[in-house]
Amino acid sequence: MIELKNIEKYYATKGVKHYVLRHVSTSIKQGEFVSIMGPSGAGKSTLLNILGMLEEPTYGSYEFMGEDVTTLNERKRIELYRNHIGFVFQAYHLIDEMTVYENIEAPLLYKKIGGSERKSRIADLLDRFNIVAKKDLFPNQLSGGQQQLVGIARALAAQPSIILADEPTGNLQSAQAEEIMNLFQKLNKEEGITIIQVTHSEKNAQYGNRILHIADGVIKEDLVV
Amino acid sequence: MFKLNLKIALRNLWKNKGFSLINIGGLAIGLASCMILLLYIAYEWSYDKQYTNADKTYVVYQNAPANGKIFSWAWTPNIMANEIAVKIPGVKYASHASYTSSKLISVGNNKISSRLNFADPNFIKIFDYKFIKGNPDQVLKDVNTIILTKSLSEKLFGNEDPINKTIKLENQEVLKVEAVIEDVPVNSSITFECLAPWSLFIKREPWAREPNWGNNMCLTVVQLKDNKFLAEANADMKGIYKRNQQGNTAEALLFPLTKWHLYDDFQNGKSVGGKIEQLKIFLLLAFCILLIACVNFMNLSTARSERRSKEVGIRKAIGSSRKSLIGQFLLESVFITLISTIIAFILVEVSLPYFNNLLNIGLQIDYKSISFWGTLLMLMIFTGFMAGSYPALYLSSFEPIKVLKGLKIKSDASVSIRKVLVVVQFVFAACLIVCTSVIYQQLRYVKNKPIGYNKSNLVQIAVQGKMGNNSKLDLLKTQMINSGAVTGVTFFSKDITESGNNTTDVHWQGKPAGESILFNNRGIGSDFIKTIGTELVAGRELSTITKKDSNSIMLNEAAVKMMNLKNPIGAKIGYWGVEKTNIGVVKDFVVESAYQKVAPMIFYPSYMDDVQVIIARLNPNQNISSSLETIDNLVRQIEPDYPVNRKFVDEAFEGKFQNEKLLGTLSNWFGGFAIFISCLGLLGLALFMAEQRKKEISIRKVLGASTANILTLLNKDFIKLVAIANVIAFPLAYIIINRWLSAFEYRISISALPFIIAISLSVLIAILTVSIQSVKVAKANPVDALKYE
Ligand SMILES: Nc1ncnc2c1ncn2[C@@H]1O[C@H](COP(=O)(O)OP(=O)(O)O)[C@@H](O)[C@H]1O
Ligand SMILES: [Mg+2]
Repeated sequence: MIELKNIEKYYATKGVKHYVLRHVSTSIKQGEFVSIMGPSGAGKSTLLNILGMLEEPTYGSYEFMGEDVTTLNERKRIELYRNHIGFVFQAYHLIDEMTVYENIEAPLLYKKIGGSERKSRIADLLDRFNIVAKKDLFPNQLSGGQQQLVGIARALAAQPSIILADEPTGNLQSAQAEEIMNLFQKLNKEEGITIIQVTHSEKNAQYGNRILHIADGVIKEDLVV
Repeated sequence: MFKLNLKIALRNLWKNKGFSLINIGGLAIGLASCMILLLYIAYEWSYDKQYTNADKTYVVYQNAPANGKIFSWAWTPNIMANEIAVKIPGVKYASHASYTSSKLISVGNNKISSRLNFADPNFIKIFDYKFIKGNPDQVLKDVNTIILTKSLSEKLFGNEDPINKTIKLENQEVLKVEAVIEDVPVNSSITFECLAPWSLFIKREPWAREPNWGNNMCLTVVQLKDNKFLAEANADMKGIYKRNQQGNTAEALLFPLTKWHLYDDFQNGKSVGGKIEQLKIFLLLAFCILLIACVNFMNLSTARSERRSKEVGIRKAIGSSRKSLIGQFLLESVFITLISTIIAFILVEVSLPYFNNLLNIGLQIDYKSISFWGTLLMLMIFTGFMAGSYPALYLSSFEPIKVLKGLKIKSDASVSIRKVLVVVQFVFAACLIVCTSVIYQQLRYVKNKPIGYNKSNLVQIAVQGKMGNNSKLDLLKTQMINSGAVTGVTFFSKDITESGNNTTDVHWQGKPAGESILFNNRGIGSDFIKTIGTELVAGRELSTITKKDSNSIMLNEAAVKMMNLKNPIGAKIGYWGVEKTNIGVVKDFVVESAYQKVAPMIFYPSYMDDVQVIIARLNPNQNISSSLETIDNLVRQIEPDYPVNRKFVDEAFEGKFQNEKLLGTLSNWFGGFAIFISCLGLLGLALFMAEQRKKEISIRKVLGASTANILTLLNKDFIKLVAIANVIAFPLAYIIINRWLSAFEYRISISALPFIIAISLSVLIAILTVSIQSVKVAKANPVDALKYE
């Protein structure tokens, strides 16, 4: 599903190249549950963002479902992105001005999904995450765990084939974190959704079936759990 | 998405009420100002364009060389129209008409002073007035007939059908009503309430019957078959005077009717502009005000960008393209524009009566007009996009990843653009302040400039009906003086505040051969000098008590100078074919433009036969209103059939400043709005800046800064911007206002004062606006701000 070859990424600050990723090559297959681990500043988020097409690598090639992402034009890339990728953030990143319902609805609107289909999908998600009663509340009226559930529901709404999660439990208490991890595991096992998460916690990494260890922008270890 | 975005836009508006108020308020005021100005421009622009063949219609102007200049006006001889119809190629109709004047029209005891015009039958072929009743092919042929406009017909006959009923003109002629037409549009150069045949005019004024190429006494209008004949026709028109009267140096030309109102300023025989200049200024003003309001919007939107950057990042991360983000922000601005437009409508409807009153016109929104809605739609779209484009492009350009990583968006660019925008706003504001002050200075200067006579406490009564009779006028004069209401009474052959009545038929020894020189000529009654409060420079005054002065005249100083008379008293002057003796020199006084030098004038004794007005000086020791009542009663005793037509000379004189006053008033009002909107923008920006610098301010306060220190800190930036704006505005304003001033012969020199006013006013306003907001921040307890960091 994902094929990375020799990915490099640097930021140039005042003409000085500051490398974040070096020679990253790996492949991830459909249905895998991968955890990316490593010290702070190692380049984990950068790698995830490149996978999620939010950032472009400086060098190297990236194939997503057989398409070379680096050569796609913006319209095609957004198309690919809308249809296949769901993002979950550490800081939830819900839109403050939208209700829970509208937050989940937004990606469906961008995908131009019809009204009735939209309604049934959202109803389904609200039901599944037990947040039906909260659907008309705004994000600032929810707890962190609830916000993250909404974040995941939003990522799932577009029925992506892969979920990219950047420290999804980083801001949560352990009980809530466990709930989220169980959810990911279930999605992975029962629906075959590919999951790539960045995490600092060994325990969370154990939910998956593969761990990539990154340090200084280089993959140091690739373990199967 | 559209519905959701609209919802979000509404929520955003509601959540940031202060910003919304400033945004919508500013835009609404801007749009309302723009709409009123555009309404006014459209009103002026559509002058005389209502007639079907207006574009093929021409007014005959004559260019008469005199005093080394060329005078141009639309007065022509009575036989001009016939001559044109017969001899000039390509002419479909040629018609002549008198200029409209007030006449008494009565039905039974219902007496109304109405505006009457006389014209031949071709007139209504050229101007296709809408006939409600009557046959357009039959009217203006029989002598004793008249056409009424709808509103006059209603005033005279109520709801009755007036056709074939009779009215009385000036209590003399009985006229049969032949037709009723819709009221003449208010924005027409030729207006009247009733129209009578030319033949009636001749019957009433027998002197007008004789063909005379030397007497320019009526208006001639021409309609061409096609505009392709114009050049040929005009070439032929040029020599029409010379061909028909030997030694006549005037030239005629066809001037487009549709330009008559806006381009009536002639120099050297060519139209060089006129009211159009003012319209251009107003159009610019309308555009600038709208622009200022848009700039406000841009400013406030980008200032809030940091708050919205997160939304942009997330939207991009969940699949939004840049295009749809641009769409979203444009939608928001169009939506805000829509709300503002609705408010602007209310503002316009509320303020129109006020402006109509102020400008003395009848502007109104024509809700049925397609072009109105079209313009409005264009205006809205323009405003929406203008105001929304920059924020939309700017906001949508955020890279999602930077936003989501929590990196600070580099806002240097947006800050400097915001500064540029504030400078732009204040350049306009400062320009407007300078221009308005100069306009006011100029107006005050000409108003206070001595006009050669004392116009205060002077009243002027129109001579109407039975009053126009030698013994009646004398009686009235005696009665008025005996009543004690007035201290002096004299007569004048023309409204003293109006121009007109002039002649080139003046000859004297030493007059350059072949040169045509124009003199105003006025008939006066006894006690003229004393009553109007002017001075006799030399000689003695004309007396009309006896006929001894019937071969005497007086000249004004300008005439003496023009004639180059060494000994003006006793000089022999040929005037209308008769040799007269000059017996006095009168100080120059203004009857025409107060902006120009006084023209030569000849005074002749009027033995009441052509007296148009009675001029009386009120007794300063009497109560004015009771004096006026006494005068009115005396006039009514002599002529009970007419309503008394009396006015104060100084008020009538004000009419000369109508254009400049209009300009002054409008630029004052709309300049004020522009400044107000700019201040709203500044307030919004200050609001935002102060909030952004809350923490910095708190730390400074903890370190010991006083409220005053903080205020200085916050104000410094803004004052710098406003100062820069002034520096840019000054040369700009100087160029503009200098151009405007150059049109006046009498004008002030531009002083430093307007510029000082501009800079102090704008800085003061800026400080006030910024301070209102920042005092709150500066005074706040620093701990509050720091606690939540
Ligand atoms: N937009 C950027 N500009 C400059 N440097 C960046 C940018 N984004 C990330 N970095 C730097 O790249 C490095 C890797 O960042 P990141 O991938 O977020 O690390 P991790 O997620 O592993 O903590 C860090 O040192 C960070 O400062
Ligand atoms: Mg990270």
